[in-house]
Amino acid sequence: MKVKEIMTKDLTAAELTMTVRELIELFHQSGLSSVPVVNDEGRIVGIISERDIIEGALPGYFEVLYGITDMNHLSQKLREIENDHIEFYMTPEVIKIEEDEDDLTAADLMIRKNVKVLPVVNKDGILVGMLRRIDLLKDLL
Amino acid sequence: MIITVTPNPAIDKIYWIERLRLDDGEMPLMRATQSHLTAGGKGINVSIFLARMGIENIAMGFIAGETGRAVERRVRTEGITTSFIWVEGETRTNVTLLEKGHEQRPIQITEHGPTVPPEALKRFFTQYKRALHRARYVFLGGSLPPGVPVQFYRELAHIAHQRRVPVIVNAAGEALAHAITEKPWLVKPDTRQHTDVAGVSLKTPDEILAVGKEWVACGIGAILVSHHITHDLLITPEGAWDLEARDVQFKNLLGAEDALIAGMLSATVQGASVIEAARFGMAAATACAESEELVITDRAAIERVLPKIHIEQL
Repeated sequence: MKVKEIMTKDLTAAELTMTVRELIELFHQSGLSSVPVVNDEGRIVGIISERDIIEGALPGYFEVLYGITDMNHLSQKLREIENDHIEFYMTPEVIKIEEDEDDLTAADLMIRKNVKVLPVVNKDGILVGMLRRIDLLKDLL
Repeated sequence: MIITVTPNPAIDKIYWIERLRLDDGEMPLMRATQSHLTAGGKGINVSIFLARMGIENIAMGFIAGETGRAVERRVRTEGITTSFIWVEGETRTNVTLLEKGHEQRPIQITEHGPTVPPEALKRFFTQYKRALHRARYVFLGGSLPPGVPVQFYRELAHIAHQRRVPVIVNAAGEALAHAITEKPWLVKPDTRQHTDVAGVSLKTPDEILAVGKEWVACGIGAILVSHHITHDLLITPEGAWDLEARDVQFKNLLGAEDALIAGMLSATVQGASVIEAARFGMAAATACAESEELVITDRAAIERVLPKIHIEQL
């Protein structure tokens, strides 16, 4: 089965100039927890997740694993970065896959790179969908 | 790839009932003999038709809340690519009652839809411009939710034309009046509630012909207007035609107009001339009206009713 036959055909994406606040709104309204970041032509230039935002507000949080003892502290840190462009917090190196690749290649990539979702691109590198782990699992049943 | 824009999508809930009993006692209770729930809105209906005909397309618009999620899920189930903008509130739920024997006169209750804030509009334009890189046609259709300016379709048509992408507009009132100034490839006025556009009446065949000829002289590619339940007029720079569907057994008129445009568009994409495409569209609308499906998907059913479509050059 080709990736394009099993992917979620959704083009929800962020732009480099989107602010952290706008991205949080997008995550909240859409129920998504990560989105690709694309340029004007739809080429992927990064990927950003809720985790990237938390790390942006509290750098080192996931490495040091210190607990949040005061929600006001996180709130204050978030407010400090809410108007920043997301390009400062996204991951620019994106693990992606072409739509004509097969499901085995996609599964192997997800396992080896330990990612839950792969942006899917066409032969021109334009975003055409997202392949989630659940898309693969559903395909296997 | 075709882009369809539905600014105000909906979940359409349709009930078939034996008899409307609004005057039976204080609390009339009507039990539906059957019901149907689907994602709707003009562009979404066109998207579903195209997808079922094997034509790739992207559905765009504004969605919100749990109904928005239901719309998105149902659209994706059809294999349609989604590129919706999320806003606060709740996507519409529209209710239709079809009374047995009176299917030609459905009773519809529609909601306004969620308010679209300026930042969501800005995001829509960004996503739309991106999607246009892959587009062959753009379909713009339906009502505008609160917050979306009446110039919306005109601006979208203008951007598409800058990229040399032909535009189809199926709208009413001010939104249509603005859109036609951009000279779309095909205009289908939605005359269900407004039989005039910018103060010009489109009620009678003579009025439609006069206005249609004027519009094509100004640069609009083609105009398709329903002037009777079984008659449409097609006006192009090459001439005018009356398309008639004969011996139609009506069961449901809800998706017929959308099937007309989607059928015409699908035939155009496959290389048909404007008049051949309009005939196929009319057959799709007739097949839709003769079934209980909101979006007819059976190509064989459409081809079976093709002989019922009669065309007369005017």
